[in-house]
Amino acid sequence: MASNPVPDHVPPEMVRDFSLFTSAGMLPTPNGDPHAAVACVHAGPPIFYSPYNTRNGRGTWVITRTRDQRRVLQDAETFSSHRSIFASVLGENWPMIPLELDPPAHGIFRSLLNPLFSPKRVMVLEPVVRERAIALIDRIAASGTSCDVMKDFAFPFTVNIFLGFLGLSDDRLDIFVGWANDLLHGDDVKRPAAARMIVAFIDELAAMRRKEPVADFMTFVVQAEVEGRPLTDEEVRGTGVLLFVAGLDTVAAAIGFDLAYLARNPKDQDLLRSEPDRIGLAAEELLRAYPTVQMIRVATKNIDFEGAPIRKGDYVSCATMIANRDPAEFKCPNTIDLAREDNRHAAFGYGPHRCLGSHLARREIVIGLEEWLARIPGFRIKEGTAPITYGGHVFGIENLILDWS
Amino acid sequence: MRIIVHHATCQGHARCWAQAPDIFKLDDEGYILPGDINVAEGDELLASRGAQACPERALEIDRTAAALESVFIQSRV
Ligand code: SF4
Repeated sequence: MASNPVPDHVPPEMVRDFSLFTSAGMLPTPNGDPHAAVACVHAGPPIFYSPYNTRNGRGTWVITRTRDQRRVLQDAETFSSHRSIFASVLGENWPMIPLELDPPAHGIFRSLLNPLFSPKRVMVLEPVVRERAIALIDRIAASGTSCDVMKDFAFPFTVNIFLGFLGLSDDRLDIFVGWANDLLHGDDVKRPAAARMIVAFIDELAAMRRKEPVADFMTFVVQAEVEGRPLTDEEVRGTGVLLFVAGLDTVAAAIGFDLAYLARNPKDQDLLRSEPDRIGLAAEELLRAYPTVQMIRVATKNIDFEGAPIRKGDYVSCATMIANRDPAEFKCPNTIDLAREDNRHAAFGYGPHRCLGSHLARREIVIGLEEWLARIPGFRIKEGTAPITYGGHVFGIENLILDWS
Repeated sequence: MRIIVHHATCQGHARCWAQAPDIFKLDDEGYILPGDINVAEGDELLASRGAQACPERALEIDRTAAALESVFIQSRV
């Protein structure tokens, strides 16, 4: 991976050979544990500079402590989110909304969308989510004693819910999963191609809903008003694209990591199966142990942070997987304790950009685990197979072949 | 016991509400309602669990005499 030279203002002793993309355990690894692999940074300083810590090889400061990540993420004025990470794949510069907007514009769009994803709203959606999980798992249980959790359950489940939000049927499910895959993991040809497809799809869907409104997310967006005016085409697109990008991959990855953990830890598996009331708390611990996202901010001014000379324009990385293994915040952070209390983990981020979909994501994970454990007997990783895990901007798991014969 | 609500720090994680929906009330967007919370006797454990669940540190537990007093007064009126 090409890397930019370390900027002059970064003291050489603050540079570390660490990257969420290329360090040991970050590339696709059979039976890997990328989360444990990044925990090693806690042996070092609270902040250091990684010369190649984005997909396109840019350097970032890396904040290791939870407390400091909270400080960065809560201070949107100093640490901006405006990166156009998706649009830049196309050589363009428009924000995904609300993720890549800064206050005060951020707050306006956030207030618009919050009610659609509020805890109360998610309670209303719950029966549909559960029904979908049950249908998929029943089919798996009826067709044998083994499956690939990612392909047969995690992706169809989460993508179906996403499609429900968009008022679309399941028939294009495989296409969407393919786009998401290419976008997140594809090469320099596949990524822009996928990005273009997604933009065209969102634009087309918005046009359709303008013409013929139905009760779905895009209809809401095209009919919405901010500050007494309708959204511009670019704003509609930025909002739709974010829903696509954020909703497709992360929850599926979380379910994959969780079931992989339970497959390898039969005692915990049995406990949750016999006492399903514990699943809610356990899911929080699994979110702590296996979060999926790295947040990156751009410094809007020069600031000295814990001894590091951050300069305007520098990238600052707050990786949830690093925060969640901070021994100053979590007792025995590398031990997974499904009964852990006071678990204020960073899986959904901190500050104004706290994951908009967090309440829905939580319910999907809990319901997914509940229904899986209720319907599938004691399972393990199928002999002769190895789940492939990877690090990067979004951590994930490619395959998870379970066996309950 | 009283919970001091730092409303501007709340980011709508709703972890307090998940612990104790009757103590921590949310608005339609899912953020906590402004105003400190006087906790009734007997609800203290639940309330402190909820406050400790806040990832943003928006809920501060006030156990000072003044806080106790305000609860006491409230419970008598
Ligand atoms: S837990 Fe904290 S951030 Fe979340 S709703 Fe309650 S007060 Fe707000």
